[in-house]
Amino acid sequence: MAVSPLIVPPADALHPHPQKTAPSPLKRQTSAVPSSNGTPALVRPPGQDIQTGLSMSLDRVEQMNEQEKRKYIKDRKLGEGTYAIVYLGRSRQDSTQHVAIKKIKKQKEFRDGMAPDAVRELKYLQELHHPNIINLISAFSSKDQNLNLVLEFLPYGDLEALIRDVTHVRYGAADIKAWMGMLSRAIWFCHENRVLHRDIKPNNLLIAADGEVKLADFGLARSFAEPGHRMTANVITRWYRPPELLFGARHYSGAVDIWAVGLVFAELIIRAPFLPAENEVEQISLICKQIGTPTEENWPGVTKLKEYIVPSEVTPVWERSAYMGRFGAVGVDGVDLLVRTLALDPRKRITAHEILEHKWWRMDPKPTRKEDLPRGGGSEEKMGSDLKRRPGLDDESNPRGAKVARKLDFGAAK
Amino acid sequence: MASEDARYRQSSQFRLWSFSPAQLAAAREKANILAQSSIAARLASTPNTSAPTSNANTPDRDGTPSLPEFLTPAEEATMVSFYVSELLRAGDHAEVGEVVKATGAAFFRRFYITNSIMTYPPQEMLIVSLFFACKAEGIFPRIGDFVSKFGRDRPDEILAGEYLLCQGIRFAFDVKHPFRALKGASMELRRLGDIEEQRINAAERRAREILNFSPLITDAYFHYTPSQIMLAALSLADRGLAERLISHTFHYVAPPTDSGPGTPMAIGDAPTTRRELKIEDKEAIIGSQIRDKVLGTVEACRDMLAKELPERREHWSNKAVFKAQIQPIRKKLAKCRDPDRYNLVELQRARREQAGNRSDSEEDEPEDNGRSLEKDAAVFGDALPRDTKRRKVVKTEDPFGPPL
Repeated sequence: MAVSPLIVPPADALHPHPQKTAPSPLKRQTSAVPSSNGTPALVRPPGQDIQTGLSMSLDRVEQMNEQEKRKYIKDRKLGEGTYAIVYLGRSRQDSTQHVAIKKIKKQKEFRDGMAPDAVRELKYLQELHHPNIINLISAFSSKDQNLNLVLEFLPYGDLEALIRDVTHVRYGAADIKAWMGMLSRAIWFCHENRVLHRDIKPNNLLIAADGEVKLADFGLARSFAEPGHRMTANVITRWYRPPELLFGARHYSGAVDIWAVGLVFAELIIRAPFLPAENEVEQISLICKQIGTPTEENWPGVTKLKEYIVPSEVTPVWERSAYMGRFGAVGVDGVDLLVRTLALDPRKRITAHEILEHKWWRMDPKPTRKEDLPRGGGSEEKMGSDLKRRPGLDDESNPRGAKVARKLDFGAAK
Repeated sequence: MASEDARYRQSSQFRLWSFSPAQLAAAREKANILAQSSIAARLASTPNTSAPTSNANTPDRDGTPSLPEFLTPAEEATMVSFYVSELLRAGDHAEVGEVVKATGAAFFRRFYITNSIMTYPPQEMLIVSLFFACKAEGIFPRIGDFVSKFGRDRPDEILAGEYLLCQGIRFAFDVKHPFRALKGASMELRRLGDIEEQRINAAERRAREILNFSPLITDAYFHYTPSQIMLAALSLADRGLAERLISHTFHYVAPPTDSGPGTPMAIGDAPTTRRELKIEDKEAIIGSQIRDKVLGTVEACRDMLAKELPERREHWSNKAVFKAQIQPIRKKLAKCRDPDRYNLVELQRARREQAGNRSDSEEDEPEDNGRSLEKDAAVFGDALPRDTKRRKVVKTEDPFGPPL
């Protein structure tokens, strides 16, 4: 596919001499250039506002930025965290269009310019436009050189809140199928665009006014690495982190996201985290106990991974039938999909594309229509707390505590 | 949504950074003219700064205040090319990867479409571009380590330009390159099974060499897609292989139209129309017409790359060339640059001060909602010329052709 040049070029490019209007930098085209070398008169082009003597005028780019900024009105603060402040805002032209404005704070501990989370988030959200991925409407800088992301406003909280609120929110297999469908399409789209999300978990899945689930928080995302390129293993919130990362793998694929998708699936069914460990060692033990011990037999090469340590007592990989008791609510086919997402060997794990082709989607019950999906007591403030978090980190406002051990070694991943 | 082409059209590279040659020339000319008038106004307001032999009260013989000679758009283009070659050398020196260098070059070129070389210092902006390209490609070097590689000890000079660069590239940090396409092409050629391995390897090597220089120092990224650029480079390396690949991809030959009612194609009613549509689709996607179109485009791109083959690296770093072509422009530039914006550190300080003065009223506070709409109209009315042009183009004729 890489060589499919199906995109036809701009019409002008088809002309045999495109250089005519874009002079080659090598030739001093003295006559072809309209603005002469002579003394330019002090004529201001229309629209150019020059405030001489006063504060410095804005250049063209600054004017563009100013225009972008003026399209939105900040109404009020929704939340503030260590990473960002989130405001409720709206469009100046259409005051019914609400937006969330996420203002990235300057990070004191990062002295090397724009922080990695912000670079990553902006890079990927600029490119990924999909109904199940949070929509970046615009970006601008404020005068104090802070970055502002204008995001679609998602007022109904996140999947985690929904899962936890057992007293008010009831849902069934059809609802789970609908949510999983949306998550699966989002992650398929990321992978199709060669992007690893690397922080999939229920509280990064936000709920829109129409019930659509949107994958958010791309602060840990990166492009698929070129073969041979090393990546950091210290990504994905621990409970959702796959065994290859826990064993310190530096070469990995979209399979890391799929494991996390599987754990979100499991959590939706049992309404509690499936593998909630206190630390990484315990995380590996839990995986061994609940899913099976990774060995050379079920995962050739696993013992070569740098940090491969498993409990001495080997648990055989559980059969599908063993899952039926706890996860049977989604039926035999649902359990089959779950088990495939939780394959220990990442090479045997189901891909995002294969998930979408799985037979579970075609079995009864049909997925609930998005507008009929149950909603939690989400609030505007919820989005504030969802967006202000440092990617991969939970701050004081989150009762689940600091379950993420994430320290990116920015220098090492060359 | 699912097709690769549809997704390319969603990319910021297509949405914000693809132009026809005419659009590109117009944008650069506008940047040049705006810079001229803004610098002229600035110099006129503070006489004696750059023209010690005259002042604003003593008009020249022709009656206009004495102003420096400004760079022409063509001279600016020469300088941008020169500094891209410097950027690539800096990248080699700092031992960053080929993708980082290419991204840095793209950032630098994008920045100087809306900005003039007279406004912001290219020598600094090339390091800023390279530094930010590392970050955009997922490598986060320490700024102190990074600048020290270039014998600089003022990290703030580079950091001060980072925000400027981000604004100038409109916060779009993803650049799509032709490198991976080249790998795909060589695999595809190998799969054909009748081409000598040596020939493929030699072509791939040469094409890669070209991709590491020619598209970066020309406007290729603004006019062509990564796969078109790759095919053009492959064609320069081995025309036969590139054409083989293209004709292999667009191989569809429509069945003769006069096949008559006896052929199975024409049996039945509804299926016939569906089949015919299918043939049309095939024809439109992998037929000879599209093949010729692709060949033509690749040929045009090839012509562009051929003007700056990798051997031209030597030209740009040649001392005699520098003295004859670059130095005179640099001397001119020294006299006509923007006195307020050439020092990035000072500029940032001034901007922050401005922000500080106004921060109480505007920053982080819900804004005054009663602001007049007329003011907005004035702002919105002054839409970017590029945007209006793009809209016009889309209305009349999508420059990237009909939907596939």
